[in-house]
Amino acid sequence: MKKAFLTTILCVIAGAFLMVPNQAIAKDPVKIGVIVPLSGIVAQGGEEMKMGIQMAAEEKGTLLGRPIELIVEDTQVKPPVAVSKAEKLVFKDGCKALIGVFSSGVGLAIAKNIDRLNVPFLTTHVMTTKFYGLNPLVFRSGQLANDQTAVGNVKGILATPDLKDRTYYVLVHDYAWGHDAGQRFVDLAKKNGIKIANEDFDKAPIKTKDWSSYISKIKASGADGVYIALITNVIPVFAKQAYDFGIQKYARIVSGAAPGPVELEAGGEACVGIFGASDWCWDVDNPISDKWESDFWKKFKTIPSDAACHSYVGAMNLFNGIEKAGSTDPQEIADALRGISFNGPYGEVRISAKDNCMRNSAVLTETKLAPPNPYDAKIYMKVLHTFPAEELGPPAKWN
Amino acid sequence: MSFTAIAVDIILNSLVLGGVLLIVAIGLNIIYGLSRVMNLAHGSLYALGAYAGFTLVASGLNYFAALLVAPLLIAVVGLIIERVIIVPVRKRSIVYTLILTYGLMFFLDGLIKYFWGNEPRFIELPQFMRQTLPIAGTHYPVFRLVTLLTTAVAMIGLMLFLGKTKLGIILRAASSIPEMVSCMGINMTFVHAGAFALGCVLAGIAGVISGPLYTIDPIMGHEMLISSFVVIVIGGLGSLRGAVLAAFLIGLVQTLAEFFVTDLAMVIVYMMMALILAFMPRGLLGEGRFE
Amino acid sequence: MSEMVTKRRSTHPMKIVALLIVVTCLTLFPFVVTNRFYISLVNEMLIYGLLAMSLDVLLGYTGLLSFMHNAYLGLGAYVVGLFLIHVAPSSLWLALLAGVVVTSVIALPVGWVQVRTGGLAFALLTLAFGMMFYTIVWKWYSLTGGDDGLMGVPHPDIQVLGITLGSSGNPTTMYLLSLCIVFICFLLTWRIIHSPFGAVLEAIRENEERASFVGINVRRYKLYGWMYACMLAGVSGGLFILYRGYIGPTTMSAFAGAGVLMMVLVGGMGSLWGPIVGAGIFIFMQDYISTMTEHWELFVGLVVIMLVLFLPRGFIGLGDYLTRFRKE
Repeated sequence: MKKAFLTTILCVIAGAFLMVPNQAIAKDPVKIGVIVPLSGIVAQGGEEMKMGIQMAAEEKGTLLGRPIELIVEDTQVKPPVAVSKAEKLVFKDGCKALIGVFSSGVGLAIAKNIDRLNVPFLTTHVMTTKFYGLNPLVFRSGQLANDQTAVGNVKGILATPDLKDRTYYVLVHDYAWGHDAGQRFVDLAKKNGIKIANEDFDKAPIKTKDWSSYISKIKASGADGVYIALITNVIPVFAKQAYDFGIQKYARIVSGAAPGPVELEAGGEACVGIFGASDWCWDVDNPISDKWESDFWKKFKTIPSDAACHSYVGAMNLFNGIEKAGSTDPQEIADALRGISFNGPYGEVRISAKDNCMRNSAVLTETKLAPPNPYDAKIYMKVLHTFPAEELGPPAKWN
Repeated sequence: MSFTAIAVDIILNSLVLGGVLLIVAIGLNIIYGLSRVMNLAHGSLYALGAYAGFTLVASGLNYFAALLVAPLLIAVVGLIIERVIIVPVRKRSIVYTLILTYGLMFFLDGLIKYFWGNEPRFIELPQFMRQTLPIAGTHYPVFRLVTLLTTAVAMIGLMLFLGKTKLGIILRAASSIPEMVSCMGINMTFVHAGAFALGCVLAGIAGVISGPLYTIDPIMGHEMLISSFVVIVIGGLGSLRGAVLAAFLIGLVQTLAEFFVTDLAMVIVYMMMALILAFMPRGLLGEGRFE
Repeated sequence: MSEMVTKRRSTHPMKIVALLIVVTCLTLFPFVVTNRFYISLVNEMLIYGLLAMSLDVLLGYTGLLSFMHNAYLGLGAYVVGLFLIHVAPSSLWLALLAGVVVTSVIALPVGWVQVRTGGLAFALLTLAFGMMFYTIVWKWYSLTGGDDGLMGVPHPDIQVLGITLGSSGNPTTMYLLSLCIVFICFLLTWRIIHSPFGAVLEAIRENEERASFVGINVRRYKLYGWMYACMLAGVSGGLFILYRGYIGPTTMSAFAGAGVLMMVLVGGMGSLWGPIVGAGIFIFMQDYISTMTEHWELFVGLVVIMLVLFLPRGFIGLGDYLTRFRKE
């Protein structure tokens, strides 16, 4: 009996260790390290980012005449894990560039180690303003930065009669991005005469499941608008609980980040009526965007999300940069990336040569019940306004 | 908003939070009290209950029917777990059961992720529960009140089961003097299995009611596990009355702290736990015990 | 008690030879395998090995279970990091010393409260205090950087007696520094554990009541054991921040803490070297399995369950198990 048990366990362990992914190397591919969260609170976003990057890689096919090999690693949204995964990708697998990253904390932790890693690092979903001119090897392409979304949101509020004369209660997630987004919104709002109910805004722990206390606070404050800067996956959770308490009946929710479409579906009708600035949603109407959406849907059978789109655009920028550099030398790729532009689903985007960060336009969206659409989506983000890149900043220092 | 309206909001919020905490914690407490197993996978069983509820409701079952079926499914899962992997280590030091159930927690989380994916899920409620009810100047969601009611029913059911049925009396006796019970010719195997199943039923109930309350995701059990630890420690390990008191106390403290001093809510709760453990190791009511 | 001391095995010469061989291999490792990834990986194994060993002093020798020993690694790391950022960016040894001292100062009152209890209550108290430190670090945004972690920690030069040996930013130099410190700590702990003091700790583990009957102040010795374990954890924290250049609150979370506990169990408690091997196996396994599959939790969970069920004494028990297997 014992023998049998022991044999089984040894087999299981041996099996686990021997199942080495059989990487038959054909024509010495260009390896790109993809760092996304696949477990933890933002796993869904990470999944979508992975899809966007895969799509770009397939569209591109080859780089410098060699096949592209994506090696995906899970950050678990933990900065130390992400750094060791980055080391693994670069030193062990020989990746020539790193792309991806959800969460500013993870992005900054890798950026801190980038000189040691010595590869170009392009983030597609990091919003902190600390990324401007951080390091010659560190780039942002894809998601808008905090200062840009704050401008977009405030402009959007001023341009929408239903939002203009409201008093806003500010509630953010307790980490770098949340603090930054909340502070920028409060400052800009005050400058533009938008009323704020709590200037010393609430910072909710990321793990918050029960928002009822915060909702009671919102009710007690008498505000008829709510500004939230919450991790995208949590937006429907908050919206649903707010809806249960009847907040949406009299107040409007403006969100610092656009919610993901898959989460919106889960949230259902509670998620109707959330305003937010983003760079893309599938309502954006131009031929490139429409084609991209349908390709994405055909390939993954998932509603195309902004996370996927950012990552696609970021990956295309990176691949074009490597082609332009004509080699996989880190400095040459970095030089090629500075000033590169790409005409993608959300129009022409350009990585500034001054600060390594992207410039692009933004849209103000409102979530509504969706018209009939190919993706069977019940909720969608309707585009209300479009703001050109020049209007959004970043601060003069970098222009 | 008037003062009473705010007060009503806070009180109801803390009762709902306390209620869910109570059901999870009391399940953990029963398993510990009867079989001396500190089940770190309890949070994951709670998550599994929520997912079971979600799938049942999504496949067309009535919410209340799901509330009855899902816990039974979790009990079956719990029984399998208990028979297959907990029994072999029961005789060993508590460190081993801790590590074992820690591994089990990872395993169950992985399983949930494998079958249901990462995206958050919500349990659809019947129409009448999606309204708000005006109480003392505030509007309170009906389903939260239903949740409170469910908690109360579950707790009364548990009290009656433990107090009035023969099986319940055996369980209670086994929790205080296991040797005596086994001397009386009662098979302790059934007692241990029964305790585990009962704990799992409670985890399942909590899972289904917190589905519409919060959100369902693969890691929803982690936070709940830590919170239930706090509850059973403050109430006294193995003490059921203590757990009731502690759960509502924590619910109130956490709600008040979140309302007035956002930043320190959890520090206060952990501080309470440390002080009580150090100076009142038997819990608030002095009924708990340590082996 | 004197009987217990004389009964202890004397250090066998073979053991010393084996130790020397292992240390030599580890020293030569970065020169043979020049891949920085593997150097970093083994460096991490050494640092966590030190932490796991310090937990073993508590768990394997004193019989006290700490759920969140990583909290003290975290405290040590934050203190060293803050010292390097704000006080003196170039004094490595002073920073490490500050890390150990502050960690001990924090651990003292915590330990004083904790040793009043034992068994499961002790374990749950470590959880309560650990979560408290975690929450404080996470919330004290202005000092610790909150959820984003501590950034911009400088890499000071490693100097001994005025001679600069290299920068702590260089992976190989840092690796050798870690190896050196872990080795010294190991020898020191070995010596302490095999002294009358260690025997007292083991007596407490075996039977607290009887230990107190022969006149041992159980609480005081528990506190000594606790303080020593926390000091070592502080040292590992200092090494951690020097090697990683970054520390965030997730390193101090309850789930990371249970991971450290697993290292001790995987390696086998009560042997000092077992947990170091356990840390190696655990870190390798986590890295390897999470690279292979998205569903790494499933496999890590399965391996842990299997280990507890079939290899309860951990890696060090494997030898006995195989001997018995042959007999069967």
